[in-house]
Amino acid sequence: MNFLVRVAFVLGGIFLGVNLINYFVLGHSGDYLPAGERMGEWREAKIRAACYPALEQPERDGQLPKLSTDKHRVDWRDLDRAKEMTAALNCYLVTHPNAICERNNRAYIIDYINRYFAKFDEMMNTAKRYGESEMSTVRDLWDSPRNRAINAALMMDTGNGRLIKADFGWTVPAAMKPMFDRYNGTSDNCPRA
Amino acid sequence: MAGEIFRLIRTPVIAFIGGFLVVGGWIWAPKISNLVQGLFSGGPSVSMFADTNRIGRPETAPVVRSCIFKVMDLGPDAKMEPSAAYFVLKAGSMQAKVSAMLGKSDRWSESQTLNLANTWGELASCIYALDDRELCDPDNRAAAVEATTKFFAYAKQTGASAGKPAISASDARVIENVSDRLLLMLKNHRRYGTLVGADFGSFAPAEIMQVMRSEQATRDICKR
Repeated sequence: MNFLVRVAFVLGGIFLGVNLINYFVLGHSGDYLPAGERMGEWREAKIRAACYPALEQPERDGQLPKLSTDKHRVDWRDLDRAKEMTAALNCYLVTHPNAICERNNRAYIIDYINRYFAKFDEMMNTAKRYGESEMSTVRDLWDSPRNRAINAALMMDTGNGRLIKADFGWTVPAAMKPMFDRYNGTSDNCPRA
Repeated sequence: MAGEIFRLIRTPVIAFIGGFLVVGGWIWAPKISNLVQGLFSGGPSVSMFADTNRIGRPETAPVVRSCIFKVMDLGPDAKMEPSAAYFVLKAGSMQAKVSAMLGKSDRWSESQTLNLANTWGELASCIYALDDRELCDPDNRAAAVEATTKFFAYAKQTGASAGKPAISASDARVIENVSDRLLLMLKNHRRYGTLVGADFGSFAPAEIMQVMRSEQATRDICKR
């Protein structure tokens, strides 16, 4: 019995360690989204490769996030990431509005939506240290025409049931909670094959 | 139940850590010691033990925005965020650090060390030339700390290689002048209370720590 308990501890430790590394080090948060008939395998999402061209030269897209002032505390890596994530999500949701209807794409896009809002929250938390003017700079940065188009697409996708609260499991982004509350119980209008 | 679980894992964990420390320490101690020295030979980015309320993020500091393009010539067409230019400077330092750790000591790496000493020195001088109260901002203070620490670390490296046919007398004089100027600035800022020893951490070059220890704060210009 004692031996079995020890074996269980070792196996449990390995299981926990592997999952912690997978989530926090490798960043495969998509593996932890709820499973079900609506959700597929995020690694198999075709939309990811289809949108690579949108990420090639983001500097040419004048509608992506840009800083409204020279006096800011935004690190260039955060700025680049904000542009990249906006360009990608814009492609997934706005350029290809039906992509989210496919199970694998849905899993990948939901994971990406989580990352998108997490990045925004992270930048806002950093900006908080510098006061209201810096927070306003970051808010303006994330309010480009592409970000607004993404918000409109998210509103539409929750309104027509293409995105539901259960898709996010326990990781519903705070910015999306009001949308889900508003359109609770809406049925999916995805085109049937 | 929790107590039982703790008792169950305590012994193997202690045995494992103890065994690792004894055996690993015996085998790897010299290598680890060299690695730590090598890592800090170029000066730490900012002290890992510094008070986070005093030391912020140097790359986004307004003083870096004012000074970085004065000390780094990236060409007329280069359109770059100041924090990215600062990153380029740090990446160059990292490369020199790796070369030093690998024991590479040729003309190129020695001239690179000299260039880095000059660039960090110019950046530090530019930062200290701004208003003294600028260093009340944690990001600005972090930038001043990092630039100063890096300058003294690279200046020491150029001095260490002076025995070999590397650094000319005129280069040595330039480094010495910058060094004297920065030490004077450090003394002033120590007195103003804008810089304290803890800002530089435990691995700071000896020249800096000597100033921090010998001088006393006479007032705090950050208090309004």
